[in-house]
Amino acid sequence: MEKRIQQLQEEALSALEQAADLKTLQDIRVSILGKKGALTEVMKGMRELSAEQRPRIGSLVNTLKDQFEQSFSQRQEELQQLAIAEKLANEKIDVTLPGRKQAAGSYHPITLVTREISDIFSRLGFSAEEGPEIEKDFFNFEALNIPKDHPARDMQDTFYIQDDLVLRTHTSPVQVRTMLKHAPPIRIIAPGTVYRRDSDLTHSPMFHQVEGLLVDENVTFGDLKGVLTHFLNEFFGANLGVRFRPSFFPFTEPSAEVDIACVICGGKGCRVCGGTGWLEILGCGMVDPAVFDSVHYDAEKYSGFAFGMGLERIAMLKYGVNDLRLFFENDLRFLKQF
Amino acid sequence: MLVTYNWLKDFVDFDDSPQGLCDRLTMVGLEVDSLEAIGADLDTVIVAKLEDVATHPDADRLTVCQVNNGQETVQVVCGATNHKTGDLVALAQPGSVLPGEFKIKKSKIRGQISAGMLCSEKELGLSHESAGIMILPADLPLGQPVFEALALKDFKIEIGLTPNRPDCLSVVGVAREVAAIYGKPLRLPNSDLKAVSAEPVSERAAVSIEEADGCPRYAARMIKNVVIAPSPDWLVRRLEAVGMRSINNVVDVTNYVMMELGHPLHAFDFRYLEEGRIVVKAAQEGDIFTTLDGQDRTLSGEDLMICDGHRPVALAGVMGGLNSEVQDDTSTILLEAAYFKPTSIRRTAKRHGLHTESSHRFERGADIDMIPTVLDRAAALIAELGQGEVLSGVIDNYPQPLTTPVLDISVSKTCQLLDVVVDRETIAKLLESIGLRIEAGVDADSLQVTVPSFRPDIEREIDLIEEVARLYGYHRIPVTMPKGIVDAKQPPKRQQVKDLLNRLMVGAGFAEAINYSFVSADSIKRLGLAADDDRLRMIPLRNPLSEDQAVMRTSLVPSLLETVARNLNYKSTDLRLFELRPVFLDLLNLAEDGCAEKLSLTAVLTGRREPEGWSQAQSNIDFYDVKGIVEELLAGLSIGQVSFDPMATQPYLHPGKSCGLMMRDGLSLGVLGELHPQVLGRFDIEQPVYLIELDVEVLIACCEDSRKFVPLSRYPNVIRDSALLVAESVSAAQVLDIAWGSKQKTIEDVTLFDVYTGKGIPEGKKSMAIRVRYRDLEKTLTEEEVNKSHDKLIRTICQQLAAEIR
Repeated sequence: MEKRIQQLQEEALSALEQAADLKTLQDIRVSILGKKGALTEVMKGMRELSAEQRPRIGSLVNTLKDQFEQSFSQRQEELQQLAIAEKLANEKIDVTLPGRKQAAGSYHPITLVTREISDIFSRLGFSAEEGPEIEKDFFNFEALNIPKDHPARDMQDTFYIQDDLVLRTHTSPVQVRTMLKHAPPIRIIAPGTVYRRDSDLTHSPMFHQVEGLLVDENVTFGDLKGVLTHFLNEFFGANLGVRFRPSFFPFTEPSAEVDIACVICGGKGCRVCGGTGWLEILGCGMVDPAVFDSVHYDAEKYSGFAFGMGLERIAMLKYGVNDLRLFFENDLRFLKQF
Repeated sequence: MLVTYNWLKDFVDFDDSPQGLCDRLTMVGLEVDSLEAIGADLDTVIVAKLEDVATHPDADRLTVCQVNNGQETVQVVCGATNHKTGDLVALAQPGSVLPGEFKIKKSKIRGQISAGMLCSEKELGLSHESAGIMILPADLPLGQPVFEALALKDFKIEIGLTPNRPDCLSVVGVAREVAAIYGKPLRLPNSDLKAVSAEPVSERAAVSIEEADGCPRYAARMIKNVVIAPSPDWLVRRLEAVGMRSINNVVDVTNYVMMELGHPLHAFDFRYLEEGRIVVKAAQEGDIFTTLDGQDRTLSGEDLMICDGHRPVALAGVMGGLNSEVQDDTSTILLEAAYFKPTSIRRTAKRHGLHTESSHRFERGADIDMIPTVLDRAAALIAELGQGEVLSGVIDNYPQPLTTPVLDISVSKTCQLLDVVVDRETIAKLLESIGLRIEAGVDADSLQVTVPSFRPDIEREIDLIEEVARLYGYHRIPVTMPKGIVDAKQPPKRQQVKDLLNRLMVGAGFAEAINYSFVSADSIKRLGLAADDDRLRMIPLRNPLSEDQAVMRTSLVPSLLETVARNLNYKSTDLRLFELRPVFLDLLNLAEDGCAEKLSLTAVLTGRREPEGWSQAQSNIDFYDVKGIVEELLAGLSIGQVSFDPMATQPYLHPGKSCGLMMRDGLSLGVLGELHPQVLGRFDIEQPVYLIELDVEVLIACCEDSRKFVPLSRYPNVIRDSALLVAESVSAAQVLDIAWGSKQKTIEDVTLFDVYTGKGIPEGKKSMAIRVRYRDLEKTLTEEEVNKSHDKLIRTICQQLAAEIR
């Protein structure tokens, strides 16, 4: 009987090892441990054994059983792994094929820069204001210290609707409208569409500006420099060269143009900056007392500053767009880049 | 304003390079637009001597010249006729590049070698016109660059002047700033009259001013026995350098003195001044006057005229008349300098579309005190260049002398506003450096400033503070942040909704477009609107740039269709574009606050449903894609209860594939649908295009963030599907409305998942399959409960719509 058990062990273990699939494996198990299995038969024969023999044979049978189960599990695990590996190998796809696309939308670059500028100023406490595009002469000119028959009107070629109605030439009338509605302190920005009667490679008859205004007690030229320097560093990058130089706008005094170090050449001088190393980026100044007069603010008590910038120019610099006309042609190949 | 580096040096001894000077000018507010070296690239054009001039053997009009360039003799073929052996000429050697990218090469002209070119002044950019080549003074060294030998090397500096600075419309004016920058004295040109004739001008001519308001001062001098001749080279070149053409010695002097000192002058041929007198008065409305440029001008009663005893002889401050122009045989000159009221000159110049150097200066404010000086300076020059005699005395009609303002400037206020620390002495020094007269003020904090007549822009204290700021240097002002309380508000609802719409549209795959607000009237008409449609009453521009930009758009549809057509031309055929911009409605509606502007959201879609690709749907966009987008958009805005009304569409849409969007209260939100093929045809579009057009003003009014949480059930749902046979005319909305309108609380969701006509369905009928999901918040529903609910729902639908269960 011992011999029989030994033989069985050898046969069973070698069969397990040779089994090539899970079904064969299961069949082997049945043939050993099943109701009519070889080991079961052996165990049935134990009844005939003597009392001395029985424990020894019993122990042998148990050892065989354990050994078989262990080998079985091991082989089963091996075969399962093989089966999964084979299945997965058959499911291989070409991962380099392009993904399934959704139609993707895009913001107009002017919207993008408007949003970015508005965000920077809103963190400084500036709220957004709006005004009409068809504007009264009073708001567009008179209240901004640009009387009729003044050469300053030549600074902006104007589209007229009626004698006293124009397409606004700048977003500055929003300053006037806001001050007439609210008492100081004021911190606003006003993005919007503006129009000038000028059309060539570098001028579009319609374009966009952002206007800003801050009025309070004791506002200084230093504050103007501070806010705009902060803005330019936020927008174009820290440590950007910024310079303020004297200029003229009828509604600010003192007035300044602000230049930034050329973002293309870094200030060395190139075609974009006309060799100067500087790019004119915005106009600004301390609010002229005449403007305060026209909105009935006390010019002795309050001071403030205003600024305005052209968004197409800023977008061109930010994204490297080389042709102003692209902003209004709405070529999908252009729009999709933003 | 053009000046030259050397001309400025006539008046200030400063020590800086041209580039350095330009940088400094820019930083005091005289922005330099360009700096250009005169003759910089022309060092290969040298002084040479004609050793021999012979007629070309094969061309009568050409000469073959032997030219000594200082080192050797070369042969050059020349087409001019004004040269002879022994002359010094300007030889452009091979390799030279003359103005206008004209490259000089060694070549053969009709068989004769030509090693270079003999240049005219025009070819060297020294004058606009020239007859023949340039003959140089005989004493110049051979081989030296011509520009060097003639001391012509200079730099043109173009300043982009702001309109508040008429004082810098002259070389001396700019030099005054240069003097202030470098702390050097300003040297004014010599205007002394050397010899004056004994005859007094007052015996020959008289001036009377009838319009003292428009002309507060009019002065004149007379020069007799003048010989009209070409101007000397130095004068011609200075004028050329600042962009003016030489005419003759008299006219050139008036221009030269204007460029130098900034005050316009005019020279009359005294022969043609009837009665020998000048009268300044208003024009006769409707009179015709011929200006120097030969144009006939119809005068307005508001034009100020310079007249003689009988007729106008100049359009005051703008341009002289042809009838009294200086001519070749002119001998007696009446030279005038006057001051005219800026607004009057500006109106006249605008009215006649005549912008001249003179009107430019008077409009901005000329220097009334400068008048005697410019008269003396010009009279002396004319006498010198034209060998004439200046009559003694000046006619100076100045009825009401203008007073110069005297202003106070507060030191503390200046420091406060600019955020700087400067003392009274510094401020006084800065202001004095530009010619302002300073005296002690009323107290220790203030200064009294007398403003000279050349600075009409300085009228108030703030104008003085600005002068201090710019001369002190903006770069020296500190960088600070404003104090004070920040109270930034939420953007107004209008702006929030606009922003949200923008994001939703981009999220739905649309590219944002921006078209011009002005369009051609015709483009709106192509929509085929009814004759009484408000959108046909477009607001025209008075002065449009072109017919294509003549009216303010009343609809965004035409611009977007043009955009579609343009993109189709570029072979972009799958398009989703939108614009979120105002439309402009007729002024009849223009209230006080300009509410003629209404925001519109207009979108167009065409082409494939999905982007092209190996595994993408191949189908094209249809109505239901568009409707789905609109539904999502409305959901994003929390706008519910919108009905899609096929009757409320627009004439430019396909009548069977479009509808209006109506709010419950009958308010129209807009339309959606396929564009009418005829309208598309008018925009040269051949493929179907779909449109969404929403009135954003209504959206803003209707949208309200009404989102409220609905508790989630923890119990399972039960689904029941039913196919219903209904008449063809029954709409999906009718079926869904009944389901959603049902009072049964356990209905969680209803979808219409199939619509079918064809095999197995009787003629005139269709099958609609709905799926209803039931769920209770409190318990698990039993089969029985669900069956009961569903049977009830289907019965109701069958009753109300005469449907049958299929």
